[in-house]
Amino acid sequence: MTVKALGPYNFPPADRQELFGDDMLVHVNWDGNLLFCAAACFRAPKAMTWGDFKAQMVDPWAAGDPDYDPSRTKDWRLGDVPFEPDPNKTLAEMGVRHKAVIKFRD
Amino acid sequence: MTKLSMKERYHLLTRDLDWTPTYVAPEEVYPHSRYEGIKIHDWGAWEDPFRLTVDAYCKYQAEKDKKLYAVIDSFAQGQGHLGLSDASYVNAVKLFIQGVSPLEYQAHRHFGYLARHLDGAGARFASLCQSLDEIRHAQTQIHTISNYNKHYAGMHDWQKMHQRVWYLSVPKSYFDDALSAGPFEFMTAISFSFEYLLTNLLFVPFMSGASFNGDLATMTFGFSAQSDESRHMTLGLEVIKFMLEQDEGNVPIVQDWIDKWFWRGYRLTTLVAAMMDYFLPKKVMSWKEAFELYFEEQMLGGLFPDLAYYGINPPRHVAQAQAEKEYVSHQVYWILYQYTHAAAFNTTIPSDEAMAWLTESYPTTFDRYYKPLWDKAKAIEAGGGRFYNMALPQLCQVCQIPMGFTEPGDPGQICFRQSEYEGELYNFCSDGCQWIFDREPEKYVQAWLPVHQIYQGNCGGATIPDVLAWYGIAEGDNLDYAVSTDKTSWDEWHAKGGN
Amino acid sequence: MSAPTTVRWVGVDLQETDATRAIVEAIETDNADITIKHFPGMIKIQSPGPLHINRSTVEEKYGRPWETHEFQLAIISYAGNIANWDDDEIVIKWEH
Repeated sequence: MTVKALGPYNFPPADRQELFGDDMLVHVNWDGNLLFCAAACFRAPKAMTWGDFKAQMVDPWAAGDPDYDPSRTKDWRLGDVPFEPDPNKTLAEMGVRHKAVIKFRD
Repeated sequence: MTKLSMKERYHLLTRDLDWTPTYVAPEEVYPHSRYEGIKIHDWGAWEDPFRLTVDAYCKYQAEKDKKLYAVIDSFAQGQGHLGLSDASYVNAVKLFIQGVSPLEYQAHRHFGYLARHLDGAGARFASLCQSLDEIRHAQTQIHTISNYNKHYAGMHDWQKMHQRVWYLSVPKSYFDDALSAGPFEFMTAISFSFEYLLTNLLFVPFMSGASFNGDLATMTFGFSAQSDESRHMTLGLEVIKFMLEQDEGNVPIVQDWIDKWFWRGYRLTTLVAAMMDYFLPKKVMSWKEAFELYFEEQMLGGLFPDLAYYGINPPRHVAQAQAEKEYVSHQVYWILYQYTHAAAFNTTIPSDEAMAWLTESYPTTFDRYYKPLWDKAKAIEAGGGRFYNMALPQLCQVCQIPMGFTEPGDPGQICFRQSEYEGELYNFCSDGCQWIFDREPEKYVQAWLPVHQIYQGNCGGATIPDVLAWYGIAEGDNLDYAVSTDKTSWDEWHAKGGN
Repeated sequence: MSAPTTVRWVGVDLQETDATRAIVEAIETDNADITIKHFPGMIKIQSPGPLHINRSTVEEKYGRPWETHEFQLAIISYAGNIANWDDDEIVIKWEH
């Protein structure tokens, strides 16, 4: 135990994945575009397909930039590992974990 | 009969009233002062240069209060707020009452706790005085700002907002972190790191900003509070030196705390940086200049060479703070600008004059990284819109600020750091915040992160209007200054032939 | 890691009011090489070495008795260490 305490100090994480049931939190960052001050945080089902995730969550958010073209995204990474977007794979199948960070460029 | 000297009087009325109990062991009387591993061998070595006793304390505090309340009340009666540089200035006051005043109250409570739980009489008495000072600060701030609440939006439910609203979890979690630590860490965090190391970076911008912008009441409150702060600064410096001198084994513990609390406090002051550079119609100085004067010159150049004598180094990650002085205010205001639909203050695109000042004050970064963003925001506005970020942001697990901070050495790239602990991932804005998490993960996994709580359904509902209602943010509190009730009122009051 | 300056300034920030004028004059009289900067409502006094506030000089400037405790009504902030504060003087300096 790293925390110095008067007694036992063991508390569950306030946003552990089980609190989200079949969903998880996923972050998405548009690398190099500072218009969005930070990565977005979405709540999405683990069984959501990439196609649905992009169309229903990523695209509407990124369209806040008038120059966004949903067909022109590239260089997708899960953390720092590149992946090829497959619209039929689920987030879980892609290896996306609770609170993971996904990045892309245009 | 000769009058007692200040020194004699102080000893007679503080430490000489203390006694060592024979009926119970010291550690039973003071059960909280040993578990952090700090070793104190002689509490009698605690020094308080102010040598205040209760009678002097009451006399001088009463005099300060008489002067202060006279100014506050005359400002209110004379409708002094009409002499502000602009209604948009009041957004600095909103940030203050929502973010800072609740911390004064928490400090009052915790110094009361220290007045009970520290073994040494000198330290207990200094803590008692500070506890009284802090409730004074909370009360005078509330009194001063109550006048603004009569005329401007955003200040009607600051206590509730402090508990619930996303940007206010930044100061709240900072103080909760300190309150839930042991007494010595708390004093290192608040008395030293906050009230000595970083205090001028908080108070001078707000109070000089007040004075430059016609806010006589806040300026007066600020300078009056600062005279109490000089005692608090002294307590902070004393507690550090005392721990370092009492036992060599304390040195690495204290160094770690200085490292942690410099970074946590610095991240908190980035909100002040944004306030200084963007919220004030009349600027005092830039964040960069304030950081150079009040931190680099006075602290790195003045204080830390003194502490080197004890084997203390300047804080870990200080180089990152120094590098960030060139751009952090822009990053934080940019966060606040695009989330103003969910905040209890207004933001707006800086005027041409303000942009020119920003270009001049930040020659290596503003035009390159931030002016293009403002140009785009202007273009969106010209098209009839207003840029609001419609997704929730990624928050840092430790500082809880949206992760708008950038990679060391590259202001064009958002900085991502991540740790895994017991099967869960945690994300951080910087090396500094990650280091803090990694050394005490059991603490920070408990963090109440506003975005994550919204997504768990703990914040009133699933839609933005639901969440704003739960926050206590009412119509008129949020959105751009250009469409605000504050601006409408201001224009009416200042119309030709008006009030 | 150190700042570029080689001089380690100590100083006080005082309220800029009628009541503090005598204190500022006393500090000017008793301390060589100080710099004084004016900001709205505030006077910033800096010294390359120890800063002395002497009761007797302040009383001379005020023309009335003055307690060193009264300095609390004037001070906004300080840089350095309060090395001494007794009935006759206040000394601010860096220790090491």
